[in-house]
Amino acid sequence: MPTTIENWNPGKSESRHPEVAYEVKERLFREARSDSRYHEYLYGCYECGICVSACPSARFYEYSPRVIAQAMAREDVERVYDIIAEDIWNCAQCFSCVRCPRQNNPGGLVTLLREVAVRNGLQETKDVLQGYSRVIYKVMLKGNQVSPDMLQPDLFNDWGPWVQQFSANMPIWKKAIPVDSIRGVTDAAWKVDRKTLLELYTIWFETGSLEIIKEVDEGLHDLLVDIMQEELEEG
Amino acid sequence: MSSEKILIIGGGPAGLEAARSIADLGGDAVLVEKRERLGGTPDSEGYAKLTHHWLDASEVLGKLAAAVTSGKGVDVKTKSEVKKISGSAGSFKVEIDASGKAESLEVGAVVVATGFQHFDPGRATQYYNYYSFPDVITLTDLEKMLKENKVVRPSDGQTPKKIAFIQCVGSRDRQVGNEYCSKVCCGVASKQAVELREQISDSKVFIFYIDMRMYGYWEPQIYWQAQEKYNVNYVKGVISEVLQKGNQLLIRGEDTTMSRPMEVTMDLVVLSVGMEPSAGTRSVAQLLGVQQNKYGFIEAGGATGIDPVGTSQAGIFVAGAASGPSDLDDSFAQGGLAAARALASVRRVIA
Amino acid sequence: MTTTIEEILERKSHAVMRDPKLAHTHDIHESLLELEAKGEIILQRVPEPYAEVMTKYGRTKKIPFEHTWHHKSCGQCGHIPGYTSSIFWLNRQFKFDYLDPTDQTSCTGWNYYASATSNKSAQATVMARNFATAYQAGYYPLIHCGTSFGHYKEMRELIVHHKEVRDDVRRILDKLGKPLVIPEEIVHYSEWVHVMRNRFAERKVLDLSSITATVHPACHYHKVVAEDAIYDPDIYGGQRMATVTATLKALGINVADYSTWFDCCGFGFRHILVERDFTRSFAVQRKIETMKKEVNSDLVVTHDTGCVTTLDKSQFSGRAHNYKVGIPVLSDAQVTALALGAHPFRVVQFHWHSTDWRPFLEKLGIDWQKYWDEFQGDLEAIRAGTKSGVTWADADQPVSYR
Repeated sequence: MPTTIENWNPGKSESRHPEVAYEVKERLFREARSDSRYHEYLYGCYECGICVSACPSARFYEYSPRVIAQAMAREDVERVYDIIAEDIWNCAQCFSCVRCPRQNNPGGLVTLLREVAVRNGLQETKDVLQGYSRVIYKVMLKGNQVSPDMLQPDLFNDWGPWVQQFSANMPIWKKAIPVDSIRGVTDAAWKVDRKTLLELYTIWFETGSLEIIKEVDEGLHDLLVDIMQEELEEG
Repeated sequence: MSSEKILIIGGGPAGLEAARSIADLGGDAVLVEKRERLGGTPDSEGYAKLTHHWLDASEVLGKLAAAVTSGKGVDVKTKSEVKKISGSAGSFKVEIDASGKAESLEVGAVVVATGFQHFDPGRATQYYNYYSFPDVITLTDLEKMLKENKVVRPSDGQTPKKIAFIQCVGSRDRQVGNEYCSKVCCGVASKQAVELREQISDSKVFIFYIDMRMYGYWEPQIYWQAQEKYNVNYVKGVISEVLQKGNQLLIRGEDTTMSRPMEVTMDLVVLSVGMEPSAGTRSVAQLLGVQQNKYGFIEAGGATGIDPVGTSQAGIFVAGAASGPSDLDDSFAQGGLAAARALASVRRVIA
Repeated sequence: MTTTIEEILERKSHAVMRDPKLAHTHDIHESLLELEAKGEIILQRVPEPYAEVMTKYGRTKKIPFEHTWHHKSCGQCGHIPGYTSSIFWLNRQFKFDYLDPTDQTSCTGWNYYASATSNKSAQATVMARNFATAYQAGYYPLIHCGTSFGHYKEMRELIVHHKEVRDDVRRILDKLGKPLVIPEEIVHYSEWVHVMRNRFAERKVLDLSSITATVHPACHYHKVVAEDAIYDPDIYGGQRMATVTATLKALGINVADYSTWFDCCGFGFRHILVERDFTRSFAVQRKIETMKKEVNSDLVVTHDTGCVTTLDKSQFSGRAHNYKVGIPVLSDAQVTALALGAHPFRVVQFHWHSTDWRPFLEKLGIDWQKYWDEFQGDLEAIRAGTKSGVTWADADQPVSYR
């Protein structure tokens, strides 16, 4: 809604996403605000700028952890929505910002906002995470993350000719590692017992993690649920 | 046995003012000071000019001390410490170590004026590297050099051309624990910035701050003067790191006005360190059994809650930085008020 | 009669001894003991023998020497296995009792920080399942990865201070037949290397005095729950983490400072996979180039998975764009193992590193070709089927670099 003398709120921003209803934005804001970690992540902010000074993303992107803390503190629903839609995936989650003298944790606020974005299946978030689904698949299913067989030359050609050499030799190089749990394993980082995997799947189901993935990538979710349920039934 | 004598612990500005006031009002005081000299922290740290009209600190303290030592009514004991105290308002029994000799006293009231110490920059949350790089100094280090009119880089003895002040070091900081504002550092840093501009004519001086505390007359006298007459650069955005780059220092912060991170080299960096309770304040508070606040300062407020010199114990009063960050006006005012209260306390008891 | 400058320098020369009584943070150990007393958790004590180190605000932390359950790093085991094999090799040199478990999962912190496709209960329970498993095996967890270490410190705070998370974790662990166990200390492997550093130095077979190294401190090691990291008055006056730097100094390596010491390497969790221009900019321009220009170090040493990978793999594109790069990257365990005579390929696994390590080995006077040929021999035997793989039997014996 356009700003007029009647509805202008000092400290609140003009909307960059008028296509999204205010009620939706408010609900998302409340969701982040009501997380039990919120009061540990945001006290007050006196805009000292230390968080921005320490932040790597602030040097590379148009990004400011200070603005995120301020927007949350001021309950600037419009601005917070813009941040969720445009900024939160720039954060490197390095927590350099935790140097804040008020003991705020802007990186932690980003985590909360990301969780809200993911849980609600926001389109911008889905777009950002599209290239990332292989990792989610691996994490959920194998209890590991990026495995050696994921280092494909065409995906990592900026790492140089070494990747070609690696890719060609990987299976045999992997046999030449004396560590018993990792020798010969190519589809995961180390060998994980079946019982452990079943325990992991139980954790995913019990904590609703798969429901979260459903919002981001329904196909991936269905595949994971099928595999995990089958494995758990087998026991 | 009740007594009309008043014990003053600490011979800095607040203690000296209390002693002088008691003497002026015809009272009887004993002043116990740990150091050999009177004058407190402004003396031990060699303060040069005070923010009050740029008066010379040594002169001011000298006059104050002289008023106490030359007149009657104050028994001054330097190189002395209070070791033990018992009793209650009107009748305290005190044991002192007076220059190596044990002495016993009976007093009717106590004024605690044990003051503060400067925050140790090694405990700062940000990475200022005070103990690694010679050219990172504190306000008191700079004050010593300003007093001699010889400000140089400790690393190579060269005159610095670009100097940065970093405000709120050790204050307003939940991670350090000193959540309070130390009150004087903004005024002192600005005063020093002006002195630098006067002493080094081609210098560029920067002050990196969160807020500028310019109470009362400091605003036109110090802040506006610094900006308008001396071109001191005030940047809103405090520094998070001081690194070494070649033979200069590299400071990193956010210029919040421009809303972007900034990195710039400096020749000298000055940390505006805040106030903390002195070791004397901590130990004397324990000895006397008066309540301390969560920062270790003596809790003031007294019976009414708004008495700046009242403590949790009747007959024991606090003046100056022993109860929290204070400027000189606070110390003098509270010294005088504590003197009045202490005299009233002993005279009422006897009368 | 000292001058003012001498007075100032004298005041600045005293190492800072932090007084733990002035520490403003609540000591988490107190909360853990309270929870143990109430029967809410099992508090797994650090086994003897252990060493005590100082943390940021002057408190002490216990670091065990052995009986450790090796909580491996998913990134490293995937990409820089030398990081992992060096840690085990060092343990084996001292015949320490340890476990290399197959019932361990990744902490999944990488995924959480990259995509947030998880929640606090899941993350806390994954940690608790690993800790319970170590406890049930009778071993004490030693965390290999910097991210895991930081993440677990965060999860520990969550479990201790949020009853609803604790109850949820316990509910799920009950289903798995596991108790809710929190170890007395969360210990990173570089802290173990730190307390062992002098014993390692005694067994050096290489002279490292010609090497200048620059240290990259892992963000998740010292920035997350900042109190819990090793600080030492002899290292940077207790103002920066002592871990890694103290180890290198004990080995006789020259450690040089540089102006972007505190910068993140740019790993970014998600960025290194799908937005690598961000990662590259940081790794190359802020870190490697700065080290090269200011110090021209022979080696970069760090103590985390993501950092080794980022700093090592990003340099190729830097070179292609004419940035000044080309410094090999190793973990502190890899350097230490090399110093004690670990085989460069069977143990340190140099061939998985992208940035050229040959000049570094040559500077140390190591005939790497000889050891590469030996290793090629191993690979031939594996291909021929006469060997199933390289084992500890092949790798335990230190090589003599004489």
